[in-house]
Amino acid sequence: MNTIIKAENLVKKYGDLTAVDGISFEIREGECFGFLGPNGAGKTTTIRMIHCVSPKTSGTLTVNGMPASVDNRAIKRITGVVPQEITLDIDLTVRENLLVFARFFDIPRREAKSRLAELLKFVELEAKADCKIEQLSTGMKRRLLIARALINRPSFIVADEPTTGLDPQARHLIWQRLRQLKSQGVTLILTTQYMEEAAQLCDRLVVMDKGKIFREGVPNQLIEEEIGREVLEIRIDAARDAELIAALGGQSCGHERVGDTLYFYCRDGHDLRRKILELDLPNTVHRPATLEDVFLKLTGRSLVE
Amino acid sequence: MKISYRVYHVFARNLISYKRYVLTTFIASLIQPLFYLITFGIGMGAYMTGAFGGKSYLHFLVPGVIISSIMMTATFECLFGTFVKMVHERLYDSLVATPVSAEDAITGDILWASFRGLISGGLMMIVASFMGILPASVFSLLLLIVVMVLVGILFASLAMIVTSYAPNFDFFNYYTELVVTPMLFFSGVFFPLDNFPAWMKTMAQFMPLTHAVKIARAVYSGTSPAGLLFSVLVGLALGAIAFVFGVKRMKKRLIK
Repeated sequence: MNTIIKAENLVKKYGDLTAVDGISFEIREGECFGFLGPNGAGKTTTIRMIHCVSPKTSGTLTVNGMPASVDNRAIKRITGVVPQEITLDIDLTVRENLLVFARFFDIPRREAKSRLAELLKFVELEAKADCKIEQLSTGMKRRLLIARALINRPSFIVADEPTTGLDPQARHLIWQRLRQLKSQGVTLILTTQYMEEAAQLCDRLVVMDKGKIFREGVPNQLIEEEIGREVLEIRIDAARDAELIAALGGQSCGHERVGDTLYFYCRDGHDLRRKILELDLPNTVHRPATLEDVFLKLTGRSLVE
Repeated sequence: MKISYRVYHVFARNLISYKRYVLTTFIASLIQPLFYLITFGIGMGAYMTGAFGGKSYLHFLVPGVIISSIMMTATFECLFGTFVKMVHERLYDSLVATPVSAEDAITGDILWASFRGLISGGLMMIVASFMGILPASVFSLLLLIVVMVLVGILFASLAMIVTSYAPNFDFFNYYTELVVTPMLFFSGVFFPLDNFPAWMKTMAQFMPLTHAVKIARAVYSGTSPAGLLFSVLVGLALGAIAFVFGVKRMKKRLIK
């Protein structure tokens, strides 16, 4: 697969604050690439540099072989942007929002109208074409943002936390549409703090925190490497830690005490399960390891302010 | 400065949204200047004779009111209108992610504000024509339209500079109360500057509205008073500087 976006030692500073601190990554054509991280990790700043609305401080960043810079219209022409905030034009109707946007890309009127019909169908908003933006639900607004990002038939889409604030139905609909786009060959670049979203969509991802990339990999592999396959959570008084670790430690790869809970991370849970039954512990949860465990392990469990 | 034909796309976007509130703006931009014309022009004007080259006070007042109404409209569009688009609606954020550059977006909005000014000035001119106050000739009328557009660009650009520094709406009060309102009263809109003391005359020379009104009055009546060329040069130079600086300042605010 060809590389579509390549960053080397990319740095972004706002005054004294270093938002992105020398990161390197490669995004391949046709994949879904995720940036995972807590608030303030530098995800949004990174993708804003990719789609040329924020200048880099140093390092190199190329998109489709071209250097990314604020005035690079050629890159903007092939990019679709689904912003984190709802930036629809509230003075215009749904239809006008898309047509005006088409104009910004110099799409001829007739072509714009045919794309409009097609896109409204794709995001299931045909019935809302002449509605004002304020009449739409949050889920509809997010879908319209996706339609707007597609008006120029982009070769890659940058989606910054595209499902923030949505109910499960609306979220799953957005995921389906994004996967559908990917199956049509569109490269997807996603930032998210929802681990489930990353697991659902991303082929590869990086975990970011404090402007740096901590790990890069394929979701399942990352889980396997960082955590194992299974997690045992025991909500129990810390006084019993030593006893439990001695009893279960043999079967587990690692343990961790966080607040009221003792965690065991294991590759093979069969023995462990038997041991738990023998110990007859209350308040235990035995579950598969998820990306969330990786995320919490890498970015620390402490509250991010 | 990356300005392209896409300025027109931005202008067109404003035109499409305009149709929803066009009537309200007609009323808003007509009422206040109309009151000036009636109270000052007809009411007070009856007591003012002789000082206006044999013509009525209304002939003196109309170009001034037209220009100040353009100043008000263009200023408010680029203060409040632009601020809402920038901070509340995040419109520029989505614009600059397309081939439309920040410069295109800001220039489009400056031209739009000038257009809005032209409409309110034009409405005043229509009202004045019903009062029998017409430009000296067709050429005067065409030239006046050019002047109106340029005056709109000048005040829109000045307002853009203010907006580029504004942390919130309240900030605009400094500009409207300390700059715009004094200009309205000390730039010779309602009375000839001749009767002011020397220091006020000097101060008036530093007000862009003084020059704009002087030019408009000359064009309206088809005369060329002393110092007209100076006013034209000041107006053009100030307009060009304000435009370039306003666009650059706003780009700096939009692109971080």
